[in-house]
Amino acid sequence: MKHHINFKVNGDDYSLAVDPWRTLNEVIREDLNLTGTKLGCGTGDCGACTVLLDGRSVSSCLTLAVSVNGKSVMTVEGLAPSGEELHPIQEALIQTGGIQCGFCTAGMEMSALNLLNQTLSPSETEIKSALSGNLCRCTGYNQIVEAISMAADKMRDNAAEKEEQ
Amino acid sequence: MTAASIKEKQSLIGTSVPRIGVDGKLNGKALFSNDVAPKNSLWVKALRSELAHAKIESIDIKDALNTPGCVAILTAQDIPGNNSFGIINKDQPLLAGSKVRFVGDPVALAVAISEDVAELALSKIHVTYTELASIFDPEESLAPGSPFIHEKGNLLGKRLIKKGAPELAFEKADVIIERTYQTTCLEHAYLEPDAGYAYFDSDGKIVIYASTQNPHYDQADVASLLGLEADRVRIIQTNTGGGFGSKLDLNTQGFLGLACYLLKKPVRMVFSREEAFLCTSKRHPLKIKYKSAASKDGRLLAIDVKIMGDTGAYASYGLAVVSRSAIHATGPYEVPNVSIESVFAYTNNPIAGAMRGFGVPQVAFAHESQMDLLAEALGVSPLEIRRRNALRLGSTTATKQELTASVGIQTCIEAIAPHYEAIRNKTNSKDSKKLKGVGLGCMMYGIGNTGTQNPSTAQVELQSNGGIVLYSGAADIGQGSSTVLIQIVATELGVGAEKITLVNADTGLTTSAGATSASRQTYISGNAALDAARKLKEAILTEAATMLKANRKKLYMKNGNVLDSSGVDSSVSFEQIANKAKREGRPLKWQGFFDPDTTPLDPETGQGKPYATFAFAAQIAEVEVDILTAEVTVKKIIAAHDVGKAINPESVKGQIYGGAAMGLGFALMEEFIPGKTVSLKDYHIPTFSDMPPVECLIIEEPEPTGPFGAKGVGEPALIPTAPAILNAIADALGSRIYSLPANLERVMKAIHSGASKMKFRLNQ
Ligand code: FES
Ligand code: FES
Repeated sequence: MKHHINFKVNGDDYSLAVDPWRTLNEVIREDLNLTGTKLGCGTGDCGACTVLLDGRSVSSCLTLAVSVNGKSVMTVEGLAPSGEELHPIQEALIQTGGIQCGFCTAGMEMSALNLLNQTLSPSETEIKSALSGNLCRCTGYNQIVEAISMAADKMRDNAAEKEEQ
Repeated sequence: MTAASIKEKQSLIGTSVPRIGVDGKLNGKALFSNDVAPKNSLWVKALRSELAHAKIESIDIKDALNTPGCVAILTAQDIPGNNSFGIINKDQPLLAGSKVRFVGDPVALAVAISEDVAELALSKIHVTYTELASIFDPEESLAPGSPFIHEKGNLLGKRLIKKGAPELAFEKADVIIERTYQTTCLEHAYLEPDAGYAYFDSDGKIVIYASTQNPHYDQADVASLLGLEADRVRIIQTNTGGGFGSKLDLNTQGFLGLACYLLKKPVRMVFSREEAFLCTSKRHPLKIKYKSAASKDGRLLAIDVKIMGDTGAYASYGLAVVSRSAIHATGPYEVPNVSIESVFAYTNNPIAGAMRGFGVPQVAFAHESQMDLLAEALGVSPLEIRRRNALRLGSTTATKQELTASVGIQTCIEAIAPHYEAIRNKTNSKDSKKLKGVGLGCMMYGIGNTGTQNPSTAQVELQSNGGIVLYSGAADIGQGSSTVLIQIVATELGVGAEKITLVNADTGLTTSAGATSASRQTYISGNAALDAARKLKEAILTEAATMLKANRKKLYMKNGNVLDSSGVDSSVSFEQIANKAKREGRPLKWQGFFDPDTTPLDPETGQGKPYATFAFAAQIAEVEVDILTAEVTVKKIIAAHDVGKAINPESVKGQIYGGAAMGLGFALMEEFIPGKTVSLKDYHIPTFSDMPPVECLIIEEPEPTGPFGAKGVGEPALIPTAPAILNAIADALGSRIYSLPANLERVMKAIHSGASKMKFRLNQ
């Protein structure tokens, strides 16, 4: 029997009937056609499917769609919705060269955002441990670490500026 | 300002132009292979053998066909063309007909309205097998009386290399070191599992979108499977989430082509991670018996190397690994007397194919361990012995190829030397529980395919609006070849990178650039693109000379205009030139071609010129070994790479960083155990916390035949890392590990053996 769920994705409201065994990953990708969220393993081991659920990062491949009823999901498509201005995390990833094939990138961005939602001055160790569930086979990680700390600096400066105004 | 200095100023060569396509990867809009299929596509799933070696007696598909929503069940009988494919040897059936040869061999396909239904239908296919004796060891496979895996027998191939008189040299040697090294089966673990989508276009062509390194090869093999002319199949590469060699094979493409062709419907397929683990190609496990001889003064006199490789059930790229591992067995050293034999056998293990380095990472582990052992026996430093033996201009390789240019190994060694000495001077106290060690790893790597033609083609076109289009068959799989090709063409034509539109890796719109493998795209496809750009440039200048009534020699290009450097204030734009040429019927699209200068190897002696150029590298790894837990922490990697010319330095560094990570995995943790390894839970690749800082030292010994002097770096990046780490562990413990990976168990053994040699105290 299908279950009815209401939830938000990147600020938009959705109301869907879903089979109880379907994952959030499948629903986002196949039903909502938001294919920016990837499926790298389906077993919670790679982090490519990371999204934010009520502001906290989760593996969408392990999250049942029915469990997000009433909740708010953010995917990579919601990071810089206007498409014109890049999010500081995106800017920094370009600057440091932390993207090669790009398949891990969406998951990296969401895990990074999860961390930066909690602190804007993460140490290198904190970055590495916050992203320990995200695998990348191309970059060797260091440029991604650098990008996240660069983004944190920028976001801290932005926040300080806002306060001054 | 002279034309030359203007060109210099406008050059994009050596600048880190941002990669094309990053925006889509950042905002989620870039489409990968599992993102392209429309909703009405049918799903294709493969039934795979659970037996390693068995005769197929019958396949009963009745029940499966009755599954509601199942559209078709396809078996070998349904394949209209030649049911065998493979990049070098065509020995692999798309669907097993008479027998299965490894756990994972596909026997049938279900095509259904959803993935779930396809899976359900698969579970209702009844295959009756008669089990055959299986072989999992290559030596056993070649032993007399072993059951045949393929009709032609179990030998995949053999490569012999002979130079000088090794027996005599061994007799005269001051030291001889003989050891056996063993490496293991590895999984590429690219992050994007294979997927694709196929449909019939309005011209009746089968169009296949796929995650691939090799679109033009895919096209030929899919067409042959279907019994069609190649131009009835079009392959379009989607964004590809890493490949590292495994996406050179037909993974989903053949299944998609078959289902689409027979059902005349759009179809899609995606491998689960388990499936990608089970049935895509692996790195060849090699057993390397290595004997080296040296003189008192630390010069290599001879080597005798026997390599035994396990190619698994089908050949894939195995034959390339047979030769390449043999040719590279000397390492980047001049060895006057050589005897090398490389023999690979079929077994019932997973298919081993191309994986970043084609056998060279395995042999580098052996030759670099040997160098350290020789140094120790002779009482010279590991650095010094490498200095004395490293190839230089005029040296000859094992295949008697004389190196006449761009031999950067000495420069790489000198670049890391001060870092090495500085780290080496740190000492361990006898009571320390964390022992530090430092190790060196050097390598050479022949760019492009081995001793065979491997051309690339490209076209560069001037459009009526003055824009430039570059057509190249080269698949960018994340390493950045597209950006490099654009930089080359933009520089030649004196325009910004943004002025170049790239059309690539689509067999309907581009001609073949060959595979994205063997670190060949910068050198070979870069040259093809440059050749096309040069021809277009000639045409533009000729056109401009008439239009400006100027001396052609005085003309130069800048920002899409041709200007006169003789002081006359006149110019004409690319747009004007294009329009005039078009009106008058002169061509604006020019063809470029490049095939590296190689010769085939002699079958008996292995002599020949297998590669037109070689990349070189030297790396240092600094490690710390916890002697209580056996945990190895890599503290730092310093990597010097001779790339000829770094066209895009950030991309070169990106390759080195990523290569070092893969090398670290190879050294310490990665091991694919057939039958046991099924997911990323069992197969560990390096994570954020495993990676130390990596310092890149880019060395540029220009290659005269390379585009702007460039060679390649994709595979070289990974090769020296594992040897450097293993040498560092040996340095820390005074005891060496000969089998990879250096996992906890092996390190613990080495700790005990080091302690028993009184190198350090293990207990309080
Ligand atoms: S796809 Fe969810 S963790 Fe890998
Ligand atoms: S960039 Fe390819 S997996 Fe991270």
